Amino acid sequence: MEHKVKTPLFHLAKRTGIAPSWAWLIRLSSILVALVIGSLAIAITGNQPIPAYRTLLEGALGNEAFRRQTVKMAVPLLGCALAIAPCFKMRFWNIGAEGQITAGALAATLMVRLFAAKLSALPLLLLMAIAAILGGGLWGLIPGFFKAKWNTNETLFTLMMNYIIIGVVAWLQAGPWEARQGRMAQFPANACLPKVLGVHCGWIIVLVLAVLIHVYMKYTKHGYEISVIGDSMRTAQYAGMNVGRIMMRTMFLSGAISGLVGFIVASGANNTLAKDIAGGVGFTSITVAWLSQLNAFAMILISLMLAILTKGASTLQTQMGVPAAISDIITGLLLFCMLGCEFFINFRIVFRGSRPEKGGKQG
Amino acid sequence: MKRLFAILLCVALVAALFVGCAKKDDAGKTDGAKTVKVGLICIGDENDQGYTYNFIRGRDAATEALKAKGINVEWVTKYNVGEDSGCEDANIELAAAGCAVIFNNSFGFEDYMLKVAPEYPNVQFVSCTNQVSWNDDLKNTHNAFAAIYEGRYLAGVVAGMKLQQLIDEGTIKPEEAIIGYVGAFPFAEVKSGYTAYFLGARSVCPSVTMKVQFVNSWSNATEESNAASALCDAGCKLISQHADNSTPATTAQSKGAFFTSYNNDMISVAPEACLVGTRIDWSVYFTEVIEAVANGKEFPQDWCKGIADGAVVLTDLNKDIVAPGTAEKLAEVEEQIKSGKLQVFDTSTFTVKGETLTQAYALDTDGDFAPDSEEAVYDGAFHESTVQSAPYFAIDIDGIELLN
Repeated sequence: MEHKVKTPLFHLAKRTGIAPSWAWLIRLSSILVALVIGSLAIAITGNQPIPAYRTLLEGALGNEAFRRQTVKMAVPLLGCALAIAPCFKMRFWNIGAEGQITAGALAATLMVRLFAAKLSALPLLLLMAIAAILGGGLWGLIPGFFKAKWNTNETLFTLMMNYIIIGVVAWLQAGPWEARQGRMAQFPANACLPKVLGVHCGWIIVLVLAVLIHVYMKYTKHGYEISVIGDSMRTAQYAGMNVGRIMMRTMFLSGAISGLVGFIVASGANNTLAKDIAGGVGFTSITVAWLSQLNAFAMILISLMLAILTKGASTLQTQMGVPAAISDIITGLLLFCMLGCEFFINFRIVFRGSRPEKGGKQG
Repeated sequence: MKRLFAILLCVALVAALFVGCAKKDDAGKTDGAKTVKVGLICIGDENDQGYTYNFIRGRDAATEALKAKGINVEWVTKYNVGEDSGCEDANIELAAAGCAVIFNNSFGFEDYMLKVAPEYPNVQFVSCTNQVSWNDDLKNTHNAFAAIYEGRYLAGVVAGMKLQQLIDEGTIKPEEAIIGYVGAFPFAEVKSGYTAYFLGARSVCPSVTMKVQFVNSWSNATEESNAASALCDAGCKLISQHADNSTPATTAQSKGAFFTSYNNDMISVAPEACLVGTRIDWSVYFTEVIEAVANGKEFPQDWCKGIADGAVVLTDLNKDIVAPGTAEKLAEVEEQIKSGKLQVFDTSTFTVKGETLTQAYALDTDGDFAPDSEEAVYDGAFHESTVQSAPYFAIDIDGIELLN
């Protein structure tokens, strides 16, 4: 008698060594899928999807003013993604970039309040940057220290640190530092980052940072230590690395870069401090870092892409009357599909009756 | 590879479907009438059912009013804009899109609007509820506010009559006539509002007192509800508010207190509590400005109109629960305000630390955010919103207790 085995319709199998071109095809098609689902949402509002997408692109890149705004939006995203990359590489889940940005901006603003009247632009800006680096770094170091010493949960810790510092700024903003009805005064001119090609020079800073982080992660001993810890903490310990020290060092670095981003946003973009100065960048940049697979140069592209979407979606809303929420839906769909497609890059679906995969590559 | 082709094919098919559906849009043709492109930047959207919703109502009403005058308005509205450099971007975008006028609806927008205004001298920039633009060096920046204190005074009259009715019927003792007020921030705009409201109530219910609880936010539904609840527990028989949400109305109803609303008619959310509401009708201002722009005329850099011009209105009375005779009394008081016979801040009707108010400044000129010039008290009254549109009555009068 023949033995009958019940086979499911399909099952998942781990892919090994997928060809990069195939991986990129999957990623590309995920964007297409997102755009198609998004066009359904646009169609429901009574607009035509294709012109809508064209408007979206034109709204982000169509003229110089729009391009400047897009770049301005991409700057903090890129900077912050670069900041959290080392932590994530180490599998240290720093979701406190939001607070570290705020801490940096707060420290920079303190310098403005203390020294704006006494210093000219260059020394003042340098002082603000250094203060922001220390402020953000310190705010990152605290959870790093607790993790290293007592193995506290870094996800919760860094998240809670956000609320504390945002609360502090909220108090300053409506209390001791208030200028007029719950808002702080704008910075004097010598505390504002100068513009290069129409956008505050923060874009140059983050591009330089991208190169530095790439080198740091790829070619330095520190970078190597970080990736070893990320792969296996036990291996790192066995190899004689001081894991706690490396964690604290990396968290300080991460917080410091976030702090610098806070300085760039406060001094370059907003010209003031407010409790929502980070504006969700600390969280969105996690997506940027993840989508880029922690590759510093990919982050430049991804952060630009998100900025194009955000800026374009806002134009879409004004020009075609597409409700603002629809643009959020499209952005959400894109993120969902792009992150979700990583699943298909790491796994494949094997249908009942199909031949088992032989080699790593297929096509 | 086959599967990939299948995916791409599906995508192409769906895309083709949408292209196929595309049809020419013939709407929006004009027949010789003037068309003005106008920008509106909002901090929220219509879902708040309060502050921004009120602007959107004003926008739509203005569009209708202008159509009757042969002016077509093409609105470009941006919702949910933050009080940061995003607001600067929004102003640039609308100016670049060819808007002739751009209205900014939130207080925190002004700093960012003023960064954009110099670059577009031919575009008129308006910061509603604000106070810096009209007297800066730029000709194309403006402020506007309505004399909402007049509407609050009237709403106060409705509240006071209700409390007096409860006293007369023996439901409460005279000293129990306490109004609770949920305020946003301890700023002039809020103080001016609740003081006017209190004076309106006391004009018809002499024994009334008021407690004010600030929530330190323009919009925080939970905090507003908590504040209303605390005020009810502190013995308040009637709640009013100056914040953006409708939660104080529902809280008042559940605690058995009465309520009067701001920005929107809240009778639908609290039918047993809400007596009346007051709101600014922005369509009056929008219509005036857009008509001026369409005809190539200038309009005032600082604008303030009130009940006499329909810029401030009361919402419908909740006839089932207001005190008898309220409508008649309202009509009488409204007439007195319109004719100027009644001054809301008549200095003979209130005292400050037991003394009559004889002196108060309206404007801050040296930038320390404390008023230092333009005498506001003369002819037996504090004259609100005459020197500038934004309210400047920031005096704590006797009878009103601040809880925080």
